[in-house]
Amino acid sequence: MGKTEVIASVKAELGRPSSSAPDKGKVSIFVDCSPTAAPQFEGRGGEELSMELSAALRQCLLGGKSGAGAGINLSSLSIVDGKVCWDLYIDGLVVSMDGNVLDALGAAIKAALSNTGIPKVNIASAATPDEQPEVDVSDEEFLQFDTTAVLVIVTLTKVGRHYIVDATSEEESQMSSAVSVSVNRQGLICGLTKRGGAGLDPSVIYDMISVAKHVSEQLMNKLDSEIAAAEAMEEDS
Amino acid sequence: MAAKAGATPATYSPSPTTNKKTRPPLFTDVDWVRPDGRDFHQCRPAFLRTGAVNAASGSAYAEFGNTKVIVSIFGPRESKKAMMYSDIGRLNCNVSYTTFATPVRGQASENKDISSQLHKSLEGAIMLDTFPKTTVDVFALVLESGGCDLPVVISCASLALADAGIMMYDLVAAVSVSCLGKNLVIDPVTEEENYQGGSLMITCLPSRNEVTQLTITGEWSASKIHEAMELCLDACSKLGKIMRSCLKESASTSQE
Repeated sequence: MGKTEVIASVKAELGRPSSSAPDKGKVSIFVDCSPTAAPQFEGRGGEELSMELSAALRQCLLGGKSGAGAGINLSSLSIVDGKVCWDLYIDGLVVSMDGNVLDALGAAIKAALSNTGIPKVNIASAATPDEQPEVDVSDEEFLQFDTTAVLVIVTLTKVGRHYIVDATSEEESQMSSAVSVSVNRQGLICGLTKRGGAGLDPSVIYDMISVAKHVSEQLMNKLDSEIAAAEAMEEDS
Repeated sequence: MAAKAGATPATYSPSPTTNKKTRPPLFTDVDWVRPDGRDFHQCRPAFLRTGAVNAASGSAYAEFGNTKVIVSIFGPRESKKAMMYSDIGRLNCNVSYTTFATPVRGQASENKDISSQLHKSLEGAIMLDTFPKTTVDVFALVLESGGCDLPVVISCASLALADAGIMMYDLVAAVSVSCLGKNLVIDPVTEEENYQGGSLMITCLPSRNEVTQLTITGEWSASKIHEAMELCLDACSKLGKIMRSCLKESASTSQE
C-alpha cells in the first residue's frame, strides 16, 4: 500500500490440538518487523510493535472464544478429533514501513490465505484410541482454503479534529489516536482496537465505525478482484 | 451400588470428557439465568480498598465477585541510566497471575499482552509531564481470576495511582460486556467468557466522558456496538462514583 510493503506467509503443519478445544485446529499469528523497514527495529526495538500487531491480528482473525465471527473456521482444520489437527502458522514480515502497517498486513494475510492449499490427508485406521493414528499426507491433492469470511482491516487515524484513512508515517507521527476496525463481508464488525493514549468522545467512535464500514466495502471488493487476477496469472504461467 | 464399588480397576474407565461436554450452549435462551443470579445488565458488587501494601507509594486491592486483584505503585523513581533523557515521565506496567489464580494451575503467558493493554489505558489519563526523567512502576497481581480480569486490573490500578498521589486527568474506569447469543451480558464471569460470541471492553474517564481504550472481538453489528457502548459508559460512570467514594473514605480515615 503506497510505500508500505509487507510479506505474509502461511505454513501448515500437523500437530496435536489443545486439550480445551479438541475439535479445532490451531492458528498462530506472528509479525516480525525487520530492521530493513526502519533502523529502530534492530534487535529488540521492533518487538513491542510486532507484539501489538500480532495481538491485533489475532483478535481480528480468530473472533470470540466460542469461535463466532472468526475469519478462519477452526473446525475445518481438525483431522481426527483430539489427536491430529492442522497447525497454521501465519507469519508477516514488514519490509518497508510508511505508515498503516496493520491494514497492509490484513490485506496480505487475506491474499496469502486464499492462495493456501491444505494437502489432503488419508487416515490409516487407528488401532486403539490411545495410539496416534497414522496419517498419510498426499502431495497431489490440495484443499483450497475458504477465505470468503476473512476480513479486511481499516485504520482511521485521528489528527487534530479530523480523521484520515490509510495514514503515511508522516501523518502517523502527528496522530493523537488511531482506531483499527476489521469488517467482514456481511458488514459486521469483527474486531476493533484503539491505539494511542488520547481519549476519544463516544460519538466520534460511532462516526469512525460507520466510516470504516463504508471504506472497507470498497477495499474488500478491490482486494478480491486483485487476488483473483493474481491467481489467474499464476495459473497461466 | 455395592457391586460397582467392588469392580476391579481394569474395567472402570473414567471418561474425563464428561465434565466438559455436559455444558451445552444454552445461552441462546432468552430467559437464561446467570450463574450468580445477576441480571444481564447488572455488574458485580465491588469491594475496593486503598493502602493495601505498606511499602509501596500507593496501592489498592479490588474484589469484584471472584476476581481479586492487588496493584502497587512504586515511583516516581529514577529512570535507568540506559534509557534516554525524556522530558515526560515514563510508565512501566507489569501484570502477572499467581499460579493459583485459575482453576487449572499455571496460566498461559498472556502477561505481556495484558501489560501493554494496561499501559495503553493508563497513559491517556496520567499527566506524564509532571514527573520528567522518572519512571512510575505499576505492578498488578491477579490473585484469583474470576472473569473480566483486565477491566478490574485497570480500575484497581487507577485507584492505586490516585492513592500514590500521581497527578491524573481523571480516574480510569473499565467495564467489559460479553455477547452471548443475542444477549448482552455485562461483567462476565469466567464461565460466561468461555462461551461468549464476542466481547467489548471499554476504559473511559467518567467525568470527562472520554474513551481511552476500546477493544472489540467477535462479531458485532453497528447497532449492537452502540447499545453495548451505552451500557458500558453508564456502568463506568457508576464505577467512577464508587471509586471516588472509596478514596474519600480512606482520606478521611487517615486524617483522624
